[in-house]
Amino acid sequence: MRKFILPLTIVCIISGFFLAFQFKIQTNTTSFDAVSQKNANLINVIQSLEQEIESQEDQIAAMRNQLNEIQNQNNRGKLQDLQQELIRAKINAGLTSVIGKGIVITLDDNKEGLNAAPNDDPNKYIIHYEHILNLVNELKIGGAEAISVNGQRLITTSEIRCVGNLILINMSRIAPPFVISAIGSPKLMLESVSMGQLELLKSAQYPITVEEKEELIIPAYKGELQFNSAVSQ
Amino acid sequence: MSKIRWSIPITIVLLCLGIMLSLQFQAQTRIASDLTLQRTETLIAMVRGLSEKRQKLALEIIDLGAQLRSQVESNRDEETLLESIDLEMKKLQIVNGTTPVKGPGLTITIEEYMPIIYTDLLNIVNELWNAGAEAISINEHRITGYSTISVAEDIFSEANYSIFMTVNHEKLEYPIVIKTIGNANNLEKGLTLPGGIMDNLALFNAYPKIEKVEELEIPAIQKPVTYYFMNEYKPPEGTIAEEKKDEAANPLTKPLRNILP
Repeated sequence: MRKFILPLTIVCIISGFFLAFQFKIQTNTTSFDAVSQKNANLINVIQSLEQEIESQEDQIAAMRNQLNEIQNQNNRGKLQDLQQELIRAKINAGLTSVIGKGIVITLDDNKEGLNAAPNDDPNKYIIHYEHILNLVNELKIGGAEAISVNGQRLITTSEIRCVGNLILINMSRIAPPFVISAIGSPKLMLESVSMGQLELLKSAQYPITVEEKEELIIPAYKGELQFNSAVSQ
Repeated sequence: MSKIRWSIPITIVLLCLGIMLSLQFQAQTRIASDLTLQRTETLIAMVRGLSEKRQKLALEIIDLGAQLRSQVESNRDEETLLESIDLEMKKLQIVNGTTPVKGPGLTITIEEYMPIIYTDLLNIVNELWNAGAEAISINEHRITGYSTISVAEDIFSEANYSIFMTVNHEKLEYPIVIKTIGNANNLEKGLTLPGGIMDNLALFNAYPKIEKVEELEIPAIQKPVTYYFMNEYKPPEGTIAEEKKDEAANPLTKPLRNILP
Protein backbone atom coordinates (compact mmCIF):
# COMPACT_ATOMS: atom_id res chain seq x y z
CA MET A 1 0.00 0.00 0.00
CA ARG A 2 2.85 2.37 0.83
CA LYS A 3 4.31 1.64 -2.53
CA PHE A 4 1.71 3.94 -4.05
CA ILE A 5 2.28 6.92 -1.83
CA LEU A 6 5.40 8.15 -3.61
CA PRO A 7 4.03 8.21 -7.14
CA LEU A 8 0.81 9.71 -5.85
CA THR A 9 2.73 12.48 -4.15
CA ILE A 10 4.65 13.23 -7.31
CA VAL A 11 1.43 13.40 -9.33
CA CYS A 12 -0.10 15.70 -6.74
CA ILE A 13 2.90 18.00 -6.77
CA ILE A 14 2.85 18.26 -10.57
CA SER A 15 -0.87 18.88 -10.66
CA GLY A 16 -0.47 21.48 -7.94
CA PHE A 17 2.15 23.22 -10.05
CA PHE A 18 -0.11 23.30 -13.06
CA LEU A 19 -3.00 24.54 -10.98
CA ALA A 20 -0.91 27.38 -9.66
CA PHE A 21 0.28 28.28 -13.15
CA GLN A 22 -3.23 28.19 -14.52
CA PHE A 23 -4.39 30.42 -11.77
CA LYS A 24 -1.56 32.82 -12.38
CA ILE A 25 -2.56 33.22 -16.00
CA GLN A 26 -6.16 33.78 -15.06
CA THR A 27 -5.24 36.47 -12.61
CA ASN A 28 -2.80 37.93 -15.14
CA THR A 29 -5.56 38.54 -17.64
CA THR A 30 -7.77 40.11 -15.08
CA SER A 31 -4.94 42.14 -13.67
CA PHE A 32 -4.96 44.10 -16.96
CA ASP A 33 -8.03 45.79 -15.61
CA ALA A 34 -5.83 48.53 -14.27
CA VAL A 35 -4.83 49.65 -17.75
CA SER A 36 -7.78 48.12 -19.55
CA GLN A 37 -9.33 51.47 -20.41
CA LYS A 38 -6.19 52.60 -22.21
CA ASN A 39 -5.85 49.25 -23.91
CA ALA A 40 -9.47 49.28 -25.00
CA ASN A 41 -8.86 52.60 -26.74
CA LEU A 42 -5.79 51.22 -28.44
CA ILE A 43 -7.71 48.18 -29.51
CA ASN A 44 -10.41 50.40 -31.01
CA VAL A 45 -7.80 52.33 -32.91
CA ILE A 46 -6.21 49.14 -34.17
CA GLN A 47 -9.51 47.72 -35.28
CA SER A 48 -10.54 50.86 -37.13
CA LEU A 49 -7.11 51.02 -38.72
CA GLU A 50 -7.43 47.45 -39.85
CA GLN A 51 -10.81 48.17 -41.38
CA GLU A 52 -9.51 51.21 -43.15
CA ILE A 53 -6.51 49.30 -44.49
CA GLU A 54 -8.79 46.60 -45.79
CA SER A 55 -10.90 49.07 -47.73
CA GLN A 56 -7.74 50.76 -49.03
CA GLU A 57 -6.45 47.45 -50.27
CA ASP A 58 -9.75 46.76 -51.99
CA GLN A 59 -9.57 50.16 -53.66
CA ILE A 60 -6.01 49.56 -54.82
CA ALA A 61 -6.97 46.21 -56.28
CA ALA A 62 -9.88 47.80 -58.12
CA MET A 63 -7.72 50.63 -59.47
CA ARG A 64 -5.04 48.21 -60.66
CA ASN A 65 -7.70 46.23 -62.48
CA GLN A 66 -9.02 49.35 -64.13
CA LEU A 67 -5.53 50.40 -65.17
CA ASN A 68 -4.86 46.97 -66.63
CA GLU A 69 -8.06 47.12 -68.60
CA ILE A 70 -7.21 50.49 -70.07
CA GLN A 71 -3.69 49.44 -70.89
CA ASN A 72 -4.90 46.29 -72.55
CA GLN A 73 -7.28 48.12 -74.86
CA ASN A 74 -4.57 47.68 -77.45
CA ASN A 75 -4.99 51.11 -78.96
CA ARG A 76 -1.29 51.56 -79.18
CA GLY A 77 -0.73 48.72 -81.60
CA LYS A 78 -3.74 49.77 -83.64
CA LEU A 79 -2.44 53.33 -83.78
CA GLN A 80 0.97 52.25 -84.99
CA ASP A 81 -0.55 50.06 -87.69
CA LEU A 82 -2.75 52.93 -88.83
CA GLN A 83 0.17 55.34 -88.91
CA GLN A 84 2.12 52.90 -91.08
CA GLU A 85 -0.87 52.50 -93.36
CA LEU A 86 -1.30 56.27 -93.54
CA ILE A 87 2.32 56.80 -94.55
CA ARG A 88 2.01 54.17 -97.27
CA ALA A 89 -1.19 55.82 -98.51
CA LYS A 90 0.56 59.20 -98.55
CA ILE A 91 3.49 57.86 -100.52
CA ASN A 92 1.05 56.23 -102.92
CA ALA A 93 -0.97 59.43 -103.28
CA GLY A 94 2.09 61.61 -103.86
CA LEU A 95 1.99 63.54 -100.62
CA THR A 96 5.59 62.78 -99.70
CA SER A 97 8.82 63.63 -101.45
CA VAL A 98 10.30 60.54 -103.00
CA ILE A 99 13.74 59.50 -104.13
CA GLY A 100 14.90 56.88 -106.58
CA LYS A 101 16.44 55.99 -109.89
CA GLY A 102 14.93 57.63 -112.93
CA ILE A 103 15.16 59.96 -115.88
CA VAL A 104 14.88 63.68 -116.46
CA ILE A 105 13.56 64.90 -119.80
CA THR A 106 13.98 68.57 -120.64
CA LEU A 107 11.86 70.07 -123.41
CA ASP A 108 11.97 73.56 -124.78
CA ASP A 109 10.23 75.55 -127.47
CA ASN A 110 11.93 75.37 -130.85
CA LYS A 111 13.10 78.98 -130.84
CA GLU A 112 15.74 78.40 -133.50
CA GLY A 113 13.17 76.93 -135.85
CA LEU A 114 10.83 79.83 -135.25
CA ASN A 115 13.61 82.37 -135.82
CA ALA A 116 14.55 80.66 -139.06
CA ALA A 117 10.93 80.76 -140.29
CA PRO A 118 9.40 83.90 -138.81
CA ASN A 119 6.37 83.78 -141.10
CA ASP A 120 5.40 80.23 -140.17
CA ASP A 121 2.70 79.44 -137.59
CA PRO A 122 4.43 79.83 -134.20
CA ASN A 123 2.22 77.07 -132.79
CA LYS A 124 4.36 74.61 -134.69
CA TYR A 125 7.39 75.61 -132.65
CA ILE A 126 6.15 75.73 -129.10
CA ILE A 127 5.59 72.92 -126.63
CA HIS A 128 1.87 72.31 -126.10
CA TYR A 129 0.21 70.85 -123.04
CA GLU A 130 -0.72 67.79 -125.08
CA HIS A 131 2.92 67.01 -125.70
CA ILE A 132 3.45 66.90 -121.96
CA LEU A 133 0.21 64.98 -121.37
CA ASN A 134 1.26 62.31 -123.86
CA LEU A 135 4.80 62.12 -122.56
CA VAL A 136 3.52 61.67 -119.03
CA ASN A 137 1.12 58.92 -120.13
CA GLU A 138 3.96 57.17 -121.93
CA LEU A 139 6.20 57.45 -118.89
CA LYS A 140 3.43 55.77 -116.88
CA ILE A 141 3.14 53.04 -119.50
CA GLY A 142 6.89 52.60 -118.99
CA GLY A 143 6.27 52.03 -115.31
CA ALA A 144 6.95 55.49 -113.87
CA GLU A 145 6.32 55.48 -110.14
CA ALA A 146 6.45 59.23 -109.55
CA ILE A 147 6.43 62.12 -112.02
CA SER A 148 6.86 65.84 -111.66
CA VAL A 149 6.86 68.62 -114.26
CA ASN A 150 8.79 71.74 -113.29
CA GLY A 151 8.47 70.69 -109.66
CA GLN A 152 4.73 70.07 -109.84
CA ARG A 153 4.09 66.55 -108.61
CA LEU A 154 1.51 64.72 -110.68
CA ILE A 155 -1.14 62.93 -108.64
CA THR A 156 -4.42 61.26 -109.53
CA THR A 157 -6.39 64.48 -109.87
CA SER A 158 -3.64 66.52 -111.56
CA GLU A 159 -4.57 68.12 -114.84
CA ILE A 160 -2.26 69.39 -117.54
CA ARG A 161 -3.84 72.14 -119.56
CA CYS A 162 -3.30 75.44 -121.21
CA VAL A 163 -4.85 78.84 -120.88
CA GLY A 164 -3.77 81.01 -123.78
CA ASN A 165 -0.04 80.50 -124.00
CA LEU A 166 0.32 79.29 -120.43
CA ILE A 167 0.57 75.71 -119.35
CA LEU A 168 -1.01 74.92 -116.00
CA ILE A 169 -0.41 71.86 -113.85
CA ASN A 170 -2.22 71.59 -110.54
CA MET A 171 -3.47 75.09 -111.36
CA SER A 172 0.12 76.35 -111.19
CA ARG A 173 1.69 78.12 -114.13
CA ILE A 174 4.73 76.43 -115.56
CA ALA A 175 6.96 77.89 -118.24
CA PRO A 176 9.51 76.45 -120.65
CA PRO A 177 11.94 74.81 -120.43
CA PHE A 178 9.83 71.93 -119.14
CA VAL A 179 11.69 69.56 -116.90
CA ILE A 180 9.89 66.25 -116.57
CA SER A 181 11.31 64.05 -113.82
CA ALA A 182 10.21 60.45 -113.48
CA ILE A 183 11.27 57.76 -111.01
CA GLY A 184 11.19 54.24 -112.36
CA SER A 185 13.18 51.95 -114.62
CA PRO A 186 15.12 54.31 -116.93
CA LYS A 187 15.29 51.62 -119.58
CA LEU A 188 11.56 50.88 -119.69
CA MET A 189 10.52 54.52 -119.51
CA LEU A 190 12.92 55.55 -122.27
CA GLU A 191 11.73 52.70 -124.42
CA SER A 192 8.14 53.82 -123.95
CA VAL A 193 8.69 57.50 -124.77
CA SER A 194 11.06 56.77 -127.61
CA MET A 195 8.34 54.92 -129.47
CA GLY A 196 5.98 57.86 -129.08
CA GLN A 197 5.87 61.49 -128.18
CA LEU A 198 9.57 62.00 -127.55
CA GLU A 199 10.46 60.71 -131.00
CA LEU A 200 7.84 62.96 -132.60
CA LEU A 201 9.21 66.01 -130.78
CA LYS A 202 12.77 65.12 -131.73
CA SER A 203 11.90 64.77 -135.38
CA ALA A 204 10.19 68.18 -135.17
CA GLN A 205 13.55 69.61 -134.07
CA TYR A 206 12.54 70.60 -130.55
CA PRO A 207 15.57 70.92 -128.26
CA ILE A 208 15.35 67.90 -125.98
CA THR A 209 17.74 66.43 -123.45
CA VAL A 210 17.32 63.14 -121.61
CA GLU A 211 19.34 62.29 -118.55
CA GLU A 212 19.42 59.10 -116.56
CA LYS A 213 19.82 59.66 -112.83
CA GLU A 214 20.87 57.21 -110.16
CA GLU A 215 19.19 59.35 -107.56
CA LEU A 216 16.33 61.64 -108.37
CA ILE A 217 14.23 63.54 -105.87
CA ILE A 218 10.64 64.31 -106.76
CA PRO A 219 8.80 66.74 -104.49
CA ALA A 220 5.51 66.14 -102.74
CA TYR A 221 2.15 67.37 -104.02
CA LYS A 222 1.34 70.55 -102.19
CA GLY A 223 -2.15 71.29 -103.44
CA GLU A 224 -5.62 70.67 -102.15
CA LEU A 225 -7.49 67.41 -101.84
CA GLN A 226 -11.08 68.45 -101.36
CA PHE A 227 -13.82 65.98 -102.09
CA ASN A 228 -17.39 67.22 -101.89
CA SER A 229 -19.27 64.83 -104.11
CA ALA A 230 -17.48 61.49 -103.82
CA VAL A 231 -18.31 59.39 -100.79
CA SER A 232 -16.28 56.31 -99.88
CA GLN A 233 -18.24 53.13 -99.62
CA MET B 1 -8.11 -5.68 -3.92
CA SER B 2 -5.86 -2.90 -2.68
CA LYS B 3 -4.87 -2.16 -6.27
CA ILE B 4 -8.42 -1.41 -7.16
CA ARG B 5 -8.89 0.93 -4.21
CA TRP B 6 -5.97 3.10 -5.30
CA SER B 7 -6.70 3.08 -8.91
CA ILE B 8 -9.88 5.14 -8.57
CA PRO B 9 -8.32 8.25 -6.98
CA ILE B 10 -5.37 8.08 -9.36
CA THR B 11 -7.71 7.98 -12.31
CA ILE B 12 -9.55 11.02 -10.96
CA VAL B 13 -6.32 12.91 -10.40
CA LEU B 14 -5.03 12.11 -13.87
CA LEU B 15 -8.34 13.18 -15.38
CA CYS B 16 -8.13 16.53 -13.59
CA LEU B 17 -4.58 16.89 -14.77
CA GLY B 18 -5.61 16.31 -18.38
CA ILE B 19 -8.36 18.89 -18.18
CA MET B 20 -6.01 21.44 -16.67
CA LEU B 21 -3.42 20.80 -19.35
CA SER B 22 -5.88 21.41 -22.14
CA LEU B 23 -7.13 24.58 -20.43
CA GLN B 24 -3.58 25.79 -20.17
CA PHE B 25 -3.02 25.22 -23.87
CA GLN B 26 -6.19 27.13 -24.80
CA ALA B 27 -5.19 30.04 -22.66
CA GLN B 28 -1.81 30.21 -24.37
CA THR B 29 -3.28 30.37 -27.86
CA ARG B 30 -5.81 32.96 -26.76
CA ILE B 31 -3.03 35.13 -25.53
CA ALA B 32 -1.34 34.98 -28.92
CA SER B 33 -4.39 36.15 -30.99
CA ASP B 34 -6.56 38.20 -28.71
CA LEU B 35 -5.69 41.86 -28.50
CA THR B 36 -7.26 42.11 -25.06
CA LEU B 37 -4.59 39.81 -23.79
CA GLN B 38 -1.71 41.90 -25.23
CA ARG B 39 0.44 44.22 -23.29
CA THR B 40 0.06 47.95 -23.86
CA GLU B 41 3.47 48.29 -25.54
CA THR B 42 2.54 45.64 -28.08
CA LEU B 43 -0.68 47.47 -28.86
CA ILE B 44 1.11 50.78 -29.28
CA ALA B 45 3.62 49.16 -31.64
CA MET B 46 0.75 47.73 -33.66
CA VAL B 47 -0.98 51.08 -33.90
CA ARG B 48 2.25 52.60 -35.09
CA GLY B 49 2.80 49.89 -37.70
CA LEU B 50 -0.75 50.00 -38.97
CA SER B 51 -0.74 53.79 -39.23
CA GLU B 52 2.38 53.61 -41.28
CA LYS B 53 0.86 51.01 -43.57
CA ARG B 54 -2.31 53.07 -43.95
CA GLN B 55 -0.26 56.08 -44.97
CA LYS B 56 1.68 54.13 -47.59
CA LEU B 57 -1.51 52.69 -49.00
CA ALA B 58 -2.98 56.17 -49.25
CA LEU B 59 0.08 57.27 -51.23
CA GLU B 60 -0.28 54.25 -53.48
CA ILE B 61 -3.89 55.19 -54.12
CA ILE B 62 -2.85 58.70 -55.08
CA ASP B 63 -0.22 57.31 -57.46
CA LEU B 64 -2.69 54.95 -59.05
CA GLY B 65 -5.23 57.74 -59.40
CA ALA B 66 -2.70 59.90 -61.23
CA GLN B 67 -1.73 56.97 -63.45
CA LEU B 68 -5.35 56.27 -64.25
CA ARG B 69 -6.07 59.89 -65.10
CA SER B 70 -3.09 60.22 -67.40
CA GLN B 71 -3.91 56.89 -69.01
CA VAL B 72 -7.49 57.94 -69.64
CA GLU B 73 -6.24 61.24 -71.03
CA SER B 74 -3.72 59.64 -73.34
CA ASN B 75 -6.39 57.21 -74.48
CA ARG B 76 -8.59 60.16 -75.29
CA ASP B 77 -5.69 61.78 -77.16
CA GLU B 78 -5.17 58.56 -79.03
CA GLU B 79 -8.81 58.48 -79.95
CA THR B 80 -8.74 61.99 -81.40
CA LEU B 81 -5.56 61.00 -83.22
CA LEU B 82 -7.27 57.89 -84.56
CA GLU B 83 -10.17 60.00 -85.74
CA SER B 84 -7.94 62.46 -87.58
CA ILE B 85 -6.01 59.60 -89.18
CA ASP B 86 -9.28 58.01 -90.21
CA LEU B 87 -10.43 61.24 -91.82
CA GLU B 88 -7.21 61.60 -93.74
CA MET B 89 -7.22 57.95 -94.77
CA LYS B 90 -10.68 58.42 -96.28
CA LYS B 91 -9.37 61.24 -98.47
CA LEU B 92 -6.30 59.30 -99.49
CA GLN B 93 -8.40 56.26 -100.33
CA ILE B 94 -10.35 58.38 -102.82
CA VAL B 95 -7.09 59.69 -104.33
CA ASN B 96 -5.53 56.25 -104.45
CA GLY B 97 -8.71 54.59 -105.65
CA THR B 98 -8.48 51.98 -102.92
CA THR B 99 -12.15 52.28 -102.06
CA PRO B 100 -15.24 52.30 -104.27
CA VAL B 101 -16.94 55.70 -104.24
CA LYS B 102 -20.37 56.97 -105.08
CA GLY B 103 -21.82 60.35 -105.78
CA PRO B 104 -23.38 62.51 -108.48
CA GLY B 105 -21.66 63.02 -111.80
CA LEU B 106 -21.58 62.22 -115.49
CA THR B 107 -21.34 59.24 -117.75
CA ILE B 108 -19.77 59.60 -121.18
CA THR B 109 -20.58 56.79 -123.55
CA ILE B 110 -18.42 56.01 -126.60
CA GLU B 111 -19.67 53.56 -129.22
CA GLU B 112 -17.49 51.48 -131.44
CA TYR B 113 -18.39 53.33 -134.63
CA MET B 114 -17.11 56.65 -133.24
CA PRO B 115 -13.66 57.60 -134.52
CA ILE B 116 -12.14 58.03 -131.12
CA ILE B 117 -8.58 57.03 -130.29
CA TYR B 118 -6.74 56.57 -127.02
CA THR B 119 -5.36 60.11 -126.92
CA ASP B 120 -8.95 61.33 -127.01
CA LEU B 121 -9.68 59.26 -123.91
CA LEU B 122 -6.55 60.72 -122.33
CA ASN B 123 -7.79 64.21 -123.14
CA ILE B 124 -11.29 63.54 -121.83
CA VAL B 125 -9.88 62.23 -118.55
CA ASN B 126 -7.48 65.16 -118.31
CA GLU B 127 -10.33 67.59 -118.98
CA LEU B 128 -12.50 65.92 -116.33
CA TRP B 129 -9.77 66.31 -113.69
CA ASN B 130 -9.46 69.89 -114.79
CA ALA B 131 -13.20 70.42 -114.36
CA GLY B 132 -13.04 69.17 -110.78
CA ALA B 133 -13.70 65.44 -111.12
CA GLU B 134 -13.21 63.59 -107.84
CA ALA B 135 -13.14 60.06 -109.22
CA ILE B 136 -13.09 58.59 -112.72
CA SER B 137 -13.44 55.12 -114.18
CA ILE B 138 -13.33 53.85 -117.73
CA ASN B 139 -15.51 50.76 -118.03
CA GLU B 140 -14.67 49.09 -114.75
CA HIS B 141 -11.13 50.46 -114.47
CA ARG B 142 -10.62 53.10 -111.81
CA ILE B 143 -8.37 55.91 -113.03
CA THR B 144 -5.61 57.01 -110.67
CA GLY B 145 -2.26 58.70 -110.99
CA TYR B 146 -0.79 55.35 -111.98
CA SER B 147 -3.34 54.57 -114.67
CA THR B 148 -2.31 54.29 -118.27
CA ILE B 149 -4.39 54.73 -121.38
CA SER B 150 -2.92 53.19 -124.45
CA VAL B 151 -3.39 51.15 -127.55
CA ALA B 152 -2.41 47.60 -128.31
CA GLU B 153 -2.30 45.32 -131.26
CA ASP B 154 -4.38 42.18 -131.30
CA ILE B 155 -1.62 39.69 -132.00
CA PHE B 156 -3.86 36.68 -131.58
CA SER B 157 -6.13 37.27 -134.54
CA GLU B 158 -3.85 36.90 -137.54
CA ALA B 159 -6.69 36.92 -140.02
CA ASN B 160 -7.90 40.46 -139.47
CA TYR B 161 -5.37 42.88 -138.10
CA SER B 162 -6.92 44.95 -135.33
CA ILE B 163 -5.88 47.30 -132.61
CA PHE B 164 -7.74 48.11 -129.45
CA MET B 165 -7.56 50.63 -126.66
CA THR B 166 -6.36 49.65 -123.23
CA VAL B 167 -6.73 51.10 -119.78
CA ASN B 168 -4.34 49.92 -117.10
CA HIS B 169 -3.02 47.49 -119.73
CA GLU B 170 -6.40 45.82 -120.13
CA LYS B 171 -8.46 45.72 -123.30
CA LEU B 172 -11.40 48.11 -123.47
CA GLU B 173 -14.63 46.65 -124.79
CA TYR B 174 -17.37 48.74 -126.40
CA PRO B 175 -19.40 50.61 -125.48
CA ILE B 176 -16.77 52.49 -123.51
CA VAL B 177 -18.40 54.15 -120.51
CA ILE B 178 -16.47 56.83 -118.68
CA LYS B 179 -17.94 57.50 -115.26
CA THR B 180 -16.98 60.51 -113.23
CA ILE B 181 -18.07 61.83 -109.85
CA GLY B 182 -18.14 65.54 -109.14
CA ASN B 183 -20.28 68.58 -109.75
CA ALA B 184 -22.13 67.44 -112.87
CA ASN B 185 -22.67 70.95 -114.23
CA ASN B 186 -19.01 71.88 -113.93
CA LEU B 187 -17.92 68.58 -115.43
CA GLU B 188 -20.24 68.99 -118.40
CA LYS B 189 -19.16 72.58 -118.92
CA GLY B 190 -15.53 71.48 -118.90
CA LEU B 191 -16.15 69.02 -121.71
CA THR B 192 -18.45 71.15 -123.84
CA LEU B 193 -16.52 74.41 -123.60
CA PRO B 194 -16.27 76.17 -127.00
CA GLY B 195 -13.05 74.95 -128.53
CA GLY B 196 -12.92 72.21 -125.92
CA ILE B 197 -12.60 68.47 -126.23
CA MET B 198 -16.15 67.86 -127.50
CA ASP B 199 -15.76 70.53 -130.18
CA ASN B 200 -12.52 68.87 -131.19
CA LEU B 201 -14.16 65.46 -131.46
CA ALA B 202 -17.04 66.93 -133.43
CA LEU B 203 -14.51 67.87 -136.10
CA PHE B 204 -14.08 64.13 -136.59
CA ASN B 205 -17.82 63.49 -136.39
CA ALA B 206 -17.50 61.86 -133.02
CA TYR B 207 -20.27 62.72 -130.60
CA PRO B 208 -19.91 60.82 -127.32
CA LYS B 209 -23.10 60.79 -125.29
CA ILE B 210 -22.90 62.80 -122.08
CA GLU B 211 -25.44 62.13 -119.35
CA LYS B 212 -25.84 63.61 -115.91
CA VAL B 213 -26.45 61.01 -113.24
CA GLU B 214 -27.81 61.54 -109.72
CA GLU B 215 -25.77 58.79 -108.22
CA LEU B 216 -22.91 56.85 -109.72
CA GLU B 217 -20.79 54.07 -108.35
CA ILE B 218 -17.15 53.91 -109.25
CA PRO B 219 -15.18 50.77 -108.37
CA ALA B 220 -11.88 50.57 -106.53
CA ILE B 221 -8.62 49.76 -108.28
CA GLN B 222 -8.21 46.08 -109.03
CA LYS B 223 -4.51 45.67 -108.22
CA PRO B 224 -2.61 47.41 -105.46
CA VAL B 225 0.20 49.70 -106.58
CA THR B 226 3.72 48.34 -106.10
CA TYR B 227 6.96 50.25 -106.25
CA TYR B 228 10.40 49.02 -107.13
CA PHE B 229 12.36 52.25 -107.53
CA MET B 230 10.66 54.85 -105.38
CA ASN B 231 11.35 55.47 -101.69
CA GLU B 232 10.06 58.09 -99.33
CA TYR B 233 12.51 60.97 -99.19
CA LYS B 234 12.96 62.91 -96.00
CA PRO B 235 14.87 66.14 -96.51
CA PRO B 236 18.08 66.30 -94.43
CA GLU B 237 18.47 68.65 -91.46
CA GLY B 238 18.85 72.26 -92.44
CA THR B 239 16.19 72.23 -95.09
CA ILE B 240 13.59 71.48 -92.44
CA ALA B 241 12.81 75.13 -91.87
CA GLU B 242 11.89 75.48 -95.50
CA GLU B 243 9.95 72.24 -95.43
CA LYS B 244 8.00 73.45 -92.42
CA LYS B 245 7.08 76.58 -94.27
CA ASP B 246 5.81 74.47 -97.13
CA GLU B 247 3.89 72.22 -94.82
CA ALA B 248 2.29 75.14 -93.05
CA ALA B 249 0.93 76.17 -96.41
CA ASN B 250 -0.46 72.70 -96.97
CA PRO B 251 -3.16 71.77 -94.49
CA LEU B 252 -2.98 68.15 -95.54
CA THR B 253 0.53 67.50 -94.40
CA LYS B 254 0.00 69.31 -91.15
CA PRO B 255 -1.34 66.40 -89.13
CA LEU B 256 1.57 64.26 -90.30
CA ARG B 257 4.04 66.06 -88.08
CA ASN B 258 1.87 65.34 -85.10
CA ILE B 259 1.49 61.69 -85.65
CA LEU B 260 4.99 60.81 -86.75
CA PRO B 261 6.85 59.15 -83.80
